[in-house]
This record gives sequence, C-alpha cells and structure tokens, in this order.
Amino acid sequence: MTRRRRQLIAVWTLPSLLFLAVTAYAYGTFRIAPPIRLDDAARAAILAPLRAAVDGRTTPGAATGDLGDGPLCATVWLDGKALARVDGHGDTLAAASDDAARQLRAQGQLRALTTFDRSRARIQVDLVAGRGPLAGGGGVFDALAIPGIASSLALNPGIDGIGVLVDDHEILILPHELVTAKLLQSQRPSSALPDFAMGTDMARIEQLVRRRVAVASGQRGSKLDPSVHPTGLFRFRTDAFVEPPVGSEGRGAASLALTRGLPPALPPSAASLRAAALLGAHYLVGHLGVNGRYVYEHDVSTGHMSDPLRLTGDYSMPRHAGTTYFLAEVYRHTKEEWLREPIERAFHHLSDLIADGHCGATLPSGVEIDCVLDHTETTAQLGSTALAVVALAEYQRATGDRRYLPLATKLTAFILFLQRPDGSFRHLYDPKAHLADDDAQLLYYSGEATLALSRMWVVTQDPKYGDAAVRGLDWLVGWYDFFLGGFFYGEEHWTCISAEAIYDYAPGQKESYREFCDGYGTFLRQQQAEVGELPDEDDLAGSYNVTPFVLPYNTPAGSRTEAMISAYLLGVHHGHGDPRIRDQIVRTLGYLLGEQIRPESDFSMVGPAVGGMPGSPIDRNVRIDFVQHTNSAMIRAAEWIDSPAP
Amino acid sequence: MTPPPPRDPRRWIYGGLDVGFAIAYAAAIILVVPSRLPSAELHLWSLPVAAALMAVGTIMGGRRGWQVAVIGGSLQLLSMVLMIARVLMSAAFLSGVYGAFGKAAASGALVGVALLVEIVGLLPLFQVNYLRSRAGRRAFGVTGA
Repeated sequence: MTRRRRQLIAVWTLPSLLFLAVTAYAYGTFRIAPPIRLDDAARAAILAPLRAAVDGRTTPGAATGDLGDGPLCATVWLDGKALARVDGHGDTLAAASDDAARQLRAQGQLRALTTFDRSRARIQVDLVAGRGPLAGGGGVFDALAIPGIASSLALNPGIDGIGVLVDDHEILILPHELVTAKLLQSQRPSSALPDFAMGTDMARIEQLVRRRVAVASGQRGSKLDPSVHPTGLFRFRTDAFVEPPVGSEGRGAASLALTRGLPPALPPSAASLRAAALLGAHYLVGHLGVNGRYVYEHDVSTGHMSDPLRLTGDYSMPRHAGTTYFLAEVYRHTKEEWLREPIERAFHHLSDLIADGHCGATLPSGVEIDCVLDHTETTAQLGSTALAVVALAEYQRATGDRRYLPLATKLTAFILFLQRPDGSFRHLYDPKAHLADDDAQLLYYSGEATLALSRMWVVTQDPKYGDAAVRGLDWLVGWYDFFLGGFFYGEEHWTCISAEAIYDYAPGQKESYREFCDGYGTFLRQQQAEVGELPDEDDLAGSYNVTPFVLPYNTPAGSRTEAMISAYLLGVHHGHGDPRIRDQIVRTLGYLLGEQIRPESDFSMVGPAVGGMPGSPIDRNVRIDFVQHTNSAMIRAAEWIDSPAP
Repeated sequence: MTPPPPRDPRRWIYGGLDVGFAIAYAAAIILVVPSRLPSAELHLWSLPVAAALMAVGTIMGGRRGWQVAVIGGSLQLLSMVLMIARVLMSAAFLSGVYGAFGKAAASGALVGVALLVEIVGLLPLFQVNYLRSRAGRRAFGVTGA
C-alpha cells in the first residue's frame, strides 16, 4: 500500500472512529435504562407489610425476587404531605420491605394518626432500579461537552433522582422530591420569555443534599461528612407505584404504576372526557371567591393559593373572562345546574369592574361603548373585553337568557371601535384620554376579538358582527401572505376557533380558513411526539414539544387542541373531517387526561386539587387558564369522539 | 528562451482569506459567543490563531512560510474535528439521559456540524490541499519538500 493511500484511508476513517468513540463513551456512561416494571402481584406483595405497618400491624414480607440495585424507598402520604419516608435494605424484596415496614412502625407521626387517617394515607414505593453518574462535577466529559449542557441538562426531570454516598451511608432524593423542591427546569434562559424555563439548578440541589446529610446525621446519632461535592453525586431511576385511593368500597383496586409521579391516563372517550371536564369545572367553582374572583393560582405541592379577595394581586382579566367562558361552555354541554350561580357570580364581578372602570363613553355616532378594566389597570386591554363578550355570549347560547345582551352589545361596540378598516385591531385603550394605542400589539388579542365578534353574530345573527369577524379573520389569515410566512405559524388557536364559529355566516366561501387551520394542524403535528418516538418519555406522547429536554407545558396542549377541534369541524362542515387531525386531537387528549389531577393522582397534592391542571408534568402550579383551555378541549371533543369519522 | 512561469495568484487569495477569517473569528468570539469557560474559550481562540498562522505563513512565503501555513491549516482542521466530537459527545449524553435526542435536536446538531464544516473546515481543507500540491510548493518556492 502506498503512503498516499494510507494517508487517504486515515483521513477518511480516523475522524469517524473518533466520533464513534466519543459517542459510545458518553452514551454508555450516562445511560440508565428505564426500569422493568413489577406486575400487580409483586407490587401487592411489597405493599402488604408496609400497609400493615401503617395500620399498626405486622405482616411478614412475601415478595419474591432480589432487590436488585435497591434500596426500597417508601413514602407515606396524607393530604398531600409526605408524613414519613424510609429506605428499606436487604438482599431480597421481602427483606427490604420488612426493613422498611420495621422503620415505618417506629415513626412517631404515623403512630399518632387516627384509624381513619391511617386508612386514608397512601403508600408510595420507589424501587431503585438503575444508577448512573451525574454530569457537571468535572472530569473528561465536562471538559469536552458543549458548555452548559452537562450542568443544566444533567437530569431527566421527574424521572431521575439524586443520591450521594457519605461515609457508608447513602442519601437518596427521590425524583418526586426534586419536583416538589422546584429545582428542575428552573433556569430562565431568556428574559424575553419569562414563562419559559429549562435546566436544573444544581447549586440548590447540592444545598438540598447537604440538608439531607445533616438530617441523616441526626437520625444516626453520628456526624456524617456534610462536604458534598458534585463529583460524589449520582443519578438513579426507580420503579415507582402507589396505593390506590380509598373508595366507598375500600381500597380494592390494584396499585398504580407512577411515571413522573402520575398514574396511567384513562383512554379518551366521551364519558372520560366529559367526566374530566366536569372535574375541571368543579375545581374552578371550588376556587371561586365570594366576590366572583377566582383563586388565580394554587401551588398544589405546597397548598399555597392566591387570595381572591385581594384585588391588587397578580390577576389577569382576560383569563378571568376566559375561565368563565369555559364554565358557561360546560353548562351548555351538560346543563349541570350547580354551574349557573358561580357563572353569574363571576359575571357579577365583571359587571362591577366595568362599572368601577368608568370606561364607558358615547361615540360621535351615538354608539355607546364600554370595556373591562381591572382595579389595578389604567389602560383597557382588548383581550379582557373580548373574552368577556365570548363568555357572555356563551352564557346566552347555553341558557337562552338574554339578560347580559345589553352589556355584551356595549362591550362589542368597544371591539368594533378598536377595529381598523383592514380588519386588524388596536389592542390598548386609554379611557381617560379616550385614545386608542395604534402601535402596541399583544399576543392573542386579535384572535380573541375576532372570536367575540363571531360569537356575537351567533347569538344575534346581526351581519355587522359577521362582517367584522370575517374582516378580522381575513386579516389574521392574510398576515402570513409573505415568503417566510409559509414556513411557520404563531399561536393561532383563537383564529381557528373563530373560523369555525363563523362558518355558518359564510358557508363554503371561506376555503382559505380551512386550509389555514389544516396547515396549522400539520405544523403542530411536527411538534407532537407519538408513542414509541421518544421511548423513555412515552408519558409525554401527544403533547407538543420540540425536544425531549424541555418538558411540555400543558396549557398549549389544551389551547392547540381547542384549535384542532375547530380545524377538524371545519373539515366536517366542508364534507370531510381530516383523520390526521382527529388522531392528533385524540393523542393530546390522552396526554391531558393523564396530567389532570384526579383522585388517583392527588395523593401528593396539598389542598382541593382534584380537577386542576398543573402547568407541566413537573410544574405543580395550577392557574385558572390551565384548567380552562385543557378542559374546554375535553368537553368539546366529548361531543363527537365516540362517533365514527364522517 | 523559456518565459518565467506566471505568478500564482492563489497564494495571495488564500492569504487574504486567512486574514479575513482570522479577524471574523476573533470578532465573533468577542462579540457573539463569549464563553465563561476556559476550555471553551481556549478551543474557540484556536480558530483565529490557526487562521492567523496560515495568513502569516502564506504571505511570508518560502519554505518556512509554507511550513507555518501547513501547521496553521492542520491545527484548524484538528480544531474542527474536536468541535464536531464535542457536539456529538453532548448529543450522546443527552440521548443517554433523556432516552432520545429528538428530531428537532438532531436536526439542529446536524445543521451545527454542517455549519462548522462550512465556516471552519473548508478554507484550511482547500488551502492545505493547495499547499501540498506541486503548484503550491512552486508558488512558495519549496522544491523537494
């Protein structure tokens, strides 16, 4: 072989070999395979001695098999709080469960429980099933990896726990404990997107580990070395499961396997979706203050709730109106009478704000306008008034009661006043100066205003609203009429909901709306993972997300599904509903049913959380609009999901 | 009488490109991608240093200039290979922790690697190839090297 040929071979193979070697090294070092789940019988055998210990009895462990990586971590939950947490050790599952049961029997706070509370308490078991190193503590990988990757994306949120070996003592922080401590996906890389968070807060995780080491020292009666360094930390994964809740017939059902702290979702059907939407409505009614203002946020990991009686706190009037719209929508579908009074109470609060806001005026044409202005606002926002109109119109659709029509008419006159001749809208209005802001453009408001006009056409059949809605839609859809506009979509859920709402006003003429919303569906499907696509993260299948490293937010899954339901119905109106959109909707609803807090999953939630929708699989904060969007999609899909596709 | 061979303009073209790229790399590191990590900083700065070496060697000419230019070009190619390895290593890490890399992240990584080859790799690749050719050696006055 000539020297030149040898050089040629080296040039073409050595870089590839290097690339292959570093890839194999990094993947092999950090990979922890998903745990092999125990079956129902094995879980029951592990839980039996633990349950006996909580009840003050003794039952020897009967689970068969080796413990594997171990240990067996048992957490006892009551009313959302972890009352006790022990780690059972032993060579076999039976020995480890016996060890954990023995430790539980010694827990004073469990012995102090009443019989009733012991029966309500639920036991969660985490079997450690695999370990791996934690990046970010130095070493070859940290020196060579792209800066920031190893430190900020070191953990799979809700799946990985963190452990440390101090002296001969292993301290484990379980995946759900890291979620509760809000240390995952907690970095905010962009000030322009304050709601967007990614990356682990390793510094605070180290502090948490040090605190655990100090607690363990106290329990052992001997001092453990608290100088925890990242190089001493490791990751681990668990096979987690929890006892089912106690029902009216006792605790009969099998234990529930947990993924990211949540049990498996129910399959989407008309019955399951309707029940879920009613749970959501119950949550909101239970979180409505006597003054008609909602508990805006409820952190179910701590139980902290915002105070609806405090009028100066963080509160969004568009979300207040949108949430009330959802309640009216549920009432229209279910005719559940317990919804009516709370809806009217929330409207009453809106009326009070409108009266106090002094936004009303008479235009030179003699038309009276009015708008929604919160106590803390000096500038009226189009979105608040638009969604108030949507809610009032929905109430009239649901009840036939026209009592709010005069108010809705004045508010809609305000929307028409802010609409430009080309169909676009001005979004802010200064009621003192009687001046609209011609420059400010805020997310969602144009779509919300167009939907308000569409709904007013639906309840009044007045063509002035239909014409204005079509102008608004033409502007929203036409905005993308430039070269790069063919490659992306913004948040267009209100646009598609509005396009379907106004269909009867211009049947068949607006093919462009259907094409737009179909295209939006295609665009969204490219961001939607299917089962098996991201094998470790099948619990996220159906959500919308562009990478596995940032967990999806639940509200966009809801609002986009609302839009896709309208896109699908637009197709149905045109004679053929797109089966791809239908499947897309069903996938997302399956994901959302799993995310919603229900009796099976509320064991770790503090406060009245059932029916709530958390921000994401690892964000345990529930805000009113999270519930609104996701449950609105559920109640609308319940109408047709069991029927065959037309 | 044989006329003297025409001067090879490629030497000066490459020299000019080297100067331009060295300045562009340095400006990008200072203005666009400043890094707080010494290892990343060192790696990034290897690019303008290598490009500057290529520029100095190419403009200087002669046997010593030829050697400096080849060393600079090789250094830059090596730096590019190491950068690709770092991208792949990070991708493999994420795939290990999260179970998959995802289509969007994979596309992003591939685009990143392609840009690296284009922005960092092409110039030294062509230039080293030219330097090692007969015409290149002749332009530098290197005979029998």
